[in-house]
Amino acid sequence: MIDHRQAFLDEARELLVELESALLELDQSRNDPEIVARAFRALHTIKGSGAMFGFEDISGFAHHLESAFDQLRKGQLTVTADLINLSLGAADQIKKMLDAATGQGAADTSRSEAILTELRFLRGAPDAERPPSPAPTETAPALGRGPVRDWRIRFRPAPGALLNGTNPLRLLGELRELGELRVHVDTAAIPSLSEMDPERCYLAWDLVLATGAEPAAIRDVFIFVENDCELSIQPADPAAPVRPAPRAAASEVRRPAAGASTSSIRVSADKLDQLVNLVGELVTVQARLGAVAARREDPEVRAVSEEIDRLTSSLRENSMSIRMLPLRATFERFRRLVHDLGAELHKHVELTVEGADTELDKTVIDQLNDPLVHLIRNSMDHGIETPEARLAAGKPATATVHLAAQHSGANVLIRVSDDGRGLDVEAVRARAIEQGLIQAGAQLSEAEIVSLILAPGFSTAREVTDVSGRGVGMDVVRRNVEALRGSLEVASKPGAGVTVTLRLPLTLAIIDGLLVRVGEDYFVLPLANSLECVELTGQDIDAAHGNHLANVRGQLVPYIRLREYFRMEGERPEREQVMVVETDQGRYGFAVDQVLGDHQTVIKNLGRLYRNVHVVSGATILGDGTVALILDPQRVVSEAMQIQGKGAAQRHEAGLPAKDARNQITAERQPI
Amino acid sequence: MRVLTHSPVSMRLEKVLSKVILAVDDSASVRQMVKFTLSDAGYTVIEAVDGKDALTKLTGPVNMVITDLNMPNLDGIGLIRGVRANPACKGIPIVMLTTESQESRKQEGRQAGATGWIVKPFTTQQLLAVVKRLIG
Repeated sequence: MIDHRQAFLDEARELLVELESALLELDQSRNDPEIVARAFRALHTIKGSGAMFGFEDISGFAHHLESAFDQLRKGQLTVTADLINLSLGAADQIKKMLDAATGQGAADTSRSEAILTELRFLRGAPDAERPPSPAPTETAPALGRGPVRDWRIRFRPAPGALLNGTNPLRLLGELRELGELRVHVDTAAIPSLSEMDPERCYLAWDLVLATGAEPAAIRDVFIFVENDCELSIQPADPAAPVRPAPRAAASEVRRPAAGASTSSIRVSADKLDQLVNLVGELVTVQARLGAVAARREDPEVRAVSEEIDRLTSSLRENSMSIRMLPLRATFERFRRLVHDLGAELHKHVELTVEGADTELDKTVIDQLNDPLVHLIRNSMDHGIETPEARLAAGKPATATVHLAAQHSGANVLIRVSDDGRGLDVEAVRARAIEQGLIQAGAQLSEAEIVSLILAPGFSTAREVTDVSGRGVGMDVVRRNVEALRGSLEVASKPGAGVTVTLRLPLTLAIIDGLLVRVGEDYFVLPLANSLECVELTGQDIDAAHGNHLANVRGQLVPYIRLREYFRMEGERPEREQVMVVETDQGRYGFAVDQVLGDHQTVIKNLGRLYRNVHVVSGATILGDGTVALILDPQRVVSEAMQIQGKGAAQRHEAGLPAKDARNQITAERQPI
Repeated sequence: MRVLTHSPVSMRLEKVLSKVILAVDDSASVRQMVKFTLSDAGYTVIEAVDGKDALTKLTGPVNMVITDLNMPNLDGIGLIRGVRANPACKGIPIVMLTTESQESRKQEGRQAGATGWIVKPFTTQQLLAVVKRLIG
């Protein structure tokens, strides 16, 4: 702050010189508004900046003079010799105050008073204006203080708000910082496309904010817009300020369930499968119809095609949702398993379950049973210690096996974790060397060694002893999960247990995808992971100095160019498009030649030959009969990072299973 | 890929890609304070001494304008109108620096298309809060 103050002092001295010369000129030509304006500006800046840098006395004094010159500007006061003389005296006084501020002498405050009294007399009216108040103290919103209560906020920005630089998204983001925010967008005011002005804001928001912050803090978020927008902020329930327990809602839900027996019927699973198959066929045919309609530029055919597209889309969603089942029944079945196994092995084990309401396609659930049984068995057999050993290790005698399910984009994650002894990394390593999976001198991280238990052929020959940890048939589990187009991860903490994570697709049949083109080839990215699409010009590439980084509204997003990743031939176009997707590793972009649009994607399996190609989760048939590969963005990113992270040579040395999918894909892409 | 984002080249990139703020004030000390505060927070600050000067500096990419109202040659209101008339600057946030006695000027500024305002005297924290609110 010190150097800012010095900057102000220097500036104020210059301004005083300016003020003086303006005053002297004004004495010559008393009605020149330009000169009055100059004097006013000088005083205005002294006042404004003075207050900014802590010179309240100077600021307050200059304020009165500024007011006088404001009156002059507006013609409410005329320039007189007295006024000019007084102003010159005032300028001298300000100079003295500046000197006093730098420690040179002291300013005579009574002189200031005398000048101001005289000024008041000259202005002819008692000075009603307040001098500017000192800087308002920072009123931080009372975050989290006070009881949390719900606020109902209705917010409709002015139609021109976007043009004025207001970003409603930021306002919502700011509210979110105050507490938990539920957002409902009111799109009713959006006109038809032909009448829509893309620069106008047609949206309104109904928000429920649960916060302990003061109402003033909420209103403060809208301070810049509240004068020209529709805004109401009300407590959601004035009678009960504290958030009511969700009991009311729950009972409402339960009521119809009581009489629900009549509204549901039992249908054989076969019929449902048949329905989904038919819908799949319909979607494929629709894609063909769409292609035909696009070719014949006939608006009538196109309208019909679009209508059918909408219908198939909702038919698909509907029939898929019929097949969705909660995992609860599957999870609950394992209680018995855990109980029986515990008795058999003389171990006390408790099964805890989380996210049992997560829904998955019935076909996925059906095939999930065996892998899960296997994993739980493994945990109890090899991971969890005997009660005596647990007590000796300072753990509770009763062990826990935890089953958890949660959604993650188009996937469901299922975790099986135990609090047992964890994997014996050295034993796994020794075993892998023995089986020829890695070479003896291989440098591997612990995580890499742990993942070796998933490698094909690892300890299938004979059952591992207790000492070597476990790994009974983990590759069988892996094969099962991969048959479901899922993937498997293992994490182990010595002494604290093992967690196996299964990543499964929500459905095996049809997904919403985004069709993209690279050269002559088509790919589909799952829409559920896709965030947005941005353009990448040669200029952007130059600006990134050769790094694969895209600037997405000021944020750097690394991208993978599919053309390079798959080593495809041909020139990339001048303008590429980058699809930004959300992965476990953060946001990543995929650079493609063109993003063609969303696509209802019927997933076809690729067959056994391509089982090792992890980055492709299947294929689909487009309207014109061409095949598009469905990419698994998660796997593409993690494999790209692996390739980046360490040289292929090193991997070869380590003797890990060859995972260079790029080669495989380029070789195998053609014959599909 | 991740590693790249921390390389020196990328650091430079961050600089190139950092948000640009045009600070317009005839008071050098206020400009200095604005520049100091915002540069410190990672923004790139361009200075202009009045509205006219500011309009000539709007040729490159600018993410936000902070302007005083009382300035020679072209005042803040005139500048706001000028910015809003420039199609390249559509929708960028404009914040005006006002004093408490300028309520009517504030209205005028809003009608001209200002996004928000900061009342002088302000602290560096208040300035940063407003900038963060508008461009993040």
